[in-house]
Amino acid sequence: MSREPVIETEETIPSDEEMDIDPQIRLADERYEVIGQILCETYEPGEGKWILSDMLDRVLIHRYLGLPIFLVIMWAMFHFTFQISLVFMEMINQFFIWVGTYTAQIPIPWLASLLTDGVVAGVGFILTFVPPIFFLYLAISILEDTGYLSRAAFVVDRIMMKMGLHGRSFIPLLLGFGCSVAAVMASRTVDGRSNRLTTLLVSPLMSCAGRLPAYIVIAGVFFPAQAGTVVFLLYLLGIVMAALVALLFKKTLFRDESSSLLMELSMYQMPTAHGSFRHMWDRGILFLKHAGSYLLVGSIIMWFLSAFGPGGFGVPVDQSFLSMIGQFLEPVFRPLGFQWQIVSALVFGFMAKEAVVQSLSIIFAVGGAGSLETALAAVLSPASAMALLVFTLLYVPCIATVGAIRKETGSWKWTGFSIVYQLVLAYAVALVVYILGGLFLV
Amino acid sequence: MYRGMNSIGLPENGRWPSLLALTIGLAYSVVGFIQVLSGLGIIPAILGTTDVLGGALLVIVGAVFLTGVKPLQENNKEGYAYIAVGYILAAVLFGLQVLVIATNALGWLLRFEDWLGWSLTRDLTPSFWMFIALAVSTGSLVLIGAMRSKLRPTAEVVG
Repeated sequence: MSREPVIETEETIPSDEEMDIDPQIRLADERYEVIGQILCETYEPGEGKWILSDMLDRVLIHRYLGLPIFLVIMWAMFHFTFQISLVFMEMINQFFIWVGTYTAQIPIPWLASLLTDGVVAGVGFILTFVPPIFFLYLAISILEDTGYLSRAAFVVDRIMMKMGLHGRSFIPLLLGFGCSVAAVMASRTVDGRSNRLTTLLVSPLMSCAGRLPAYIVIAGVFFPAQAGTVVFLLYLLGIVMAALVALLFKKTLFRDESSSLLMELSMYQMPTAHGSFRHMWDRGILFLKHAGSYLLVGSIIMWFLSAFGPGGFGVPVDQSFLSMIGQFLEPVFRPLGFQWQIVSALVFGFMAKEAVVQSLSIIFAVGGAGSLETALAAVLSPASAMALLVFTLLYVPCIATVGAIRKETGSWKWTGFSIVYQLVLAYAVALVVYILGGLFLV
Repeated sequence: MYRGMNSIGLPENGRWPSLLALTIGLAYSVVGFIQVLSGLGIIPAILGTTDVLGGALLVIVGAVFLTGVKPLQENNKEGYAYIAVGYILAAVLFGLQVLVIATNALGWLLRFEDWLGWSLTRDLTPSFWMFIALAVSTGSLVLIGAMRSKLRPTAEVVG
């Protein structure tokens, strides 16, 4: 009795596509197979090959400890950003106060007002946030240079997959801590259209550096003892909201596409001062350029709208053009406890997120309300301040990010959708925070 | 940085290191819990124990040390990884607190308004003094170990 040999033809062997195998995984498998073959011929395992990098990985990407350790490192990063920079911010603040005493003495009233209440209170104020932004970039650079960030992606991947995000989405989301435009553009590296779109739509929910000034000022005024923790929790809220929204999108809008995260983890390295500071400078300088261009123009426009009204120059700020815009929209935001000054600032935050506090600084300076801290305490309760922080975190990204979304999606429909869903989300979450805050925050 | 484990010079017997990890882990966890409780206002604050989240972080550091106890008891060298990472995390929190103290002291020296009421005791948080205690105690153990091995060799050679 003879058995017929089984001949495997192209018909009997399913293709990778039929088996739903990611070509990149197939490529990596092949690559490692070749590496394995070479190693078999050339390498003889000996003792003591367990290196320090392996040792650290055993714990840092541990199934249960990996995530808590990641949270400790994240907390340390934001604590470093906020607490260490306070004194340097005060130094810059004192410098601009000193400059302001000179510009206020200019005999031409409109020019004195433009320079003091517009340029110094606007751009000068925003420049006080150079230290925390540079420190944030320094911390990210150090983590990047040590090799921990790729491990963080690995640690977060398991949760991301559960939440419907692709494992590779972590990198764009992480870039979102620096700038939402970079995050949106980096989402093109994510496999699959639905995965890519999900990442692209949720990446602006990650808290970019432009939002940091608003957090620092508001948290510093209303929660001074816990300001660092409040800032950390806002960043955490951004991550949680991104995950939840991604899950919602996956369940409702997009077909589920699953693929594995494939990353080569390089060995840990000791970061060099030169490398870390260089990275910090390269990224931080963009903020300075931003402040010297868009924010300078924005502060002049803001000053014009605050100092001028239907009655001409020098009208009270609550009769200015800006107050007209703010008061028109104020009823919508009244349930959140926001007055027209806050609403106007949020409108200008659409230009750039830094403009939220910049606008508030100019509005209160033109209105002669004293320091920004005192003025904020007068127009916001702790609950509405918390709602404002959450709204600033979640609402529509800046115009540059919207442009990037349009470019990456190639669709006005998705661009419009991203704006609308973020506004609705920000409003809803801020309302919940305001209601809950009213119960717990005095 | 990439030295083999043998060149790191880890002891073969994990009994004492496991005891060390247990002690440090328990100390960090207990102090962390105390900080959480005092931060929530359940118990009165001790030195610098007002931050709930700071307490939770100490508990995590304690958990890292405690996870290393079992592998060390089994003489599994992987257990040293938990001690190493625990130390790194404790050192990061300590270093951060040192920077906070230094910058606050600078603000106080420059007589800035917000720093006029600053005092050093306010910034002496458990992450600061726990690491000093940890470094001193571990340093002492290393010193004792080194002295013992210096006193022993002749007997070992003869034996």
